[in-house]
Amino acid sequence: MIQFEAVKKTYVSGKQQVHALNGIDLTVETGEIYGVIGFSGAGKSSLIRTVNLLERPSKGRVLIHGEDISTLSARKIRDTRKDIGMIFQHFNLLNSKTVHHNIAMPLLLAKTPKTEVDRKVAELLEFVGLADQAKKYPDQLSGGQKQRIGIARALATNPSILLCDEATSALDPQTTQSILDLLRRINQEYNITILLITHEMGVIREICDKVAVLEEGRVIEQGSVFEVFTNPQHATTKRFVRSVMNDELPDSLLEQIRLNDGTRPIYRVQFTGNSVGQPFMSRVSREFQLDLNVLFGNITELQGIPYGNLIVEFDGAPAEIDRALASIRNGNIQVEEVQQHAG
Amino acid sequence: MQVDQSQILEALWETLYMTGASFVFSLFIGLPLGILLVVTRKGHLLENEAVFNVLNIVINIFRSVPFIILMVAIIPLTRIIVGTSIGTAAAIVPLVFYAGPYIARLIENSLLEVDKGVIEAAQAMGASPGQIIFRFLIPEALSSLVLALTIAIVGLIGASAMAGAIGGGGLGDLAITYGYQRFDTVIMLLTVAILVVLVQGVQSLGNLMSRRVRRS
Repeated sequence: MIQFEAVKKTYVSGKQQVHALNGIDLTVETGEIYGVIGFSGAGKSSLIRTVNLLERPSKGRVLIHGEDISTLSARKIRDTRKDIGMIFQHFNLLNSKTVHHNIAMPLLLAKTPKTEVDRKVAELLEFVGLADQAKKYPDQLSGGQKQRIGIARALATNPSILLCDEATSALDPQTTQSILDLLRRINQEYNITILLITHEMGVIREICDKVAVLEEGRVIEQGSVFEVFTNPQHATTKRFVRSVMNDELPDSLLEQIRLNDGTRPIYRVQFTGNSVGQPFMSRVSREFQLDLNVLFGNITELQGIPYGNLIVEFDGAPAEIDRALASIRNGNIQVEEVQQHAG
Repeated sequence: MQVDQSQILEALWETLYMTGASFVFSLFIGLPLGILLVVTRKGHLLENEAVFNVLNIVINIFRSVPFIILMVAIIPLTRIIVGTSIGTAAAIVPLVFYAGPYIARLIENSLLEVDKGVIEAAQAMGASPGQIIFRFLIPEALSSLVLALTIAIVGLIGASAMAGAIGGGGLGDLAITYGYQRFDTVIMLLTVAILVVLVQGVQSLGNLMSRRVRRS
């Protein structure tokens, strides 16, 4: 478990003070995959570095399994770091050493016996799917392979926490997907708590359980990925959600809505989870004598829960439309009117 | 030609001896200083402004004194260390004072080239400062360090030519006393040719070793 309590980080350069973190309160529960998203400069990388004290908080505390490690001796801090693996955007492997040596490094630092080192490295190489690459050097590998080596190295000391610093930001979409799959496996098979930072909402949607949105060193929104994606509150969060959910109305549709004389109102209908199973459209259409016209929509899956978002034109008697809306809302489906002159 | 083969061989040996011995001693001084210059700087492993500033200034002072003046200026010290202020052994002392700070700077440069991310990764996996220096910084910089030290050796070969001023002997001395002062063009060209071959050899060896240690 990782707890941030009113964490502040201020950098002083000359007379200028830069407030990277402005009081962060967050709790990452054991076994969770927690994503922190923000644009560059939001304070993400300072935040993740306060966990293993690559950065010391200026104020506030970070508790690892309930313990504030910043009060420990340098030696104890190093011991704690062995329980916190970290992977990086640019992998940070030793180019002068083989893949085997890179993965073995944390074990060599701990003076592990050679047979044990060899056994563990072989096991890790197998786990990340690079068993045949042990003798290669990092510059002979692709980006995705390098990140796998980085992951294997981070897991060498059997940590309980894994920090991912923009771990997929230097990779192409396909490789990103395979690395995310690997991270999910790590979380599930070893029950390792993962804290990741990213600027890609796709990464959050793909593997995170919870998400916090960071802006100017503050958490502007946090919650389960499902909640935040289906009901974003803050403008920045909405921008991030839109970047992957594509619920923006296309221009042609906006044009059509603009031409609408107002007799056929348009609603955004959002249904989630078990409400997806309801055939609400045909039911409402029959019951209230309405013609329903789906103008736009998408149905996707978040955290294993189906989520749909439809733009529907209602055609029929106004009183019946109102009754229909009430009936739909009863079925746990969200409905809101789309501005007629939205632009 | 006013000198015989044995004199040339003796001069060559003196040059090799001065260069080799002063290189080893300078490395003993320069390596720790170079490492300190890197790790004590702001934002680094063992940040220490006082140590860094003192080292930085002292090294600059030694680096700014021309070798020929340094050689004369530290004669009292040379006398204390080797018991005499003239001869080949006596020339090694100023050569070390000349090359030590130079090597410190070269090593500083090489170590600074190591990606900061590698140091961060080392810290994140719980490496101690000593482990970071010897298991991460130096291995990653090794190839570049070898090239830097090759430059230092070539510099020492050049500097040792001036050792004639305090009776240090060597090829440079031979070239000046016989080639220049006695107008012996043949010996002048011969010594220069030997020095050229020597420098080429050292550089080629350095390049080869640098490539070899790139992956260790």
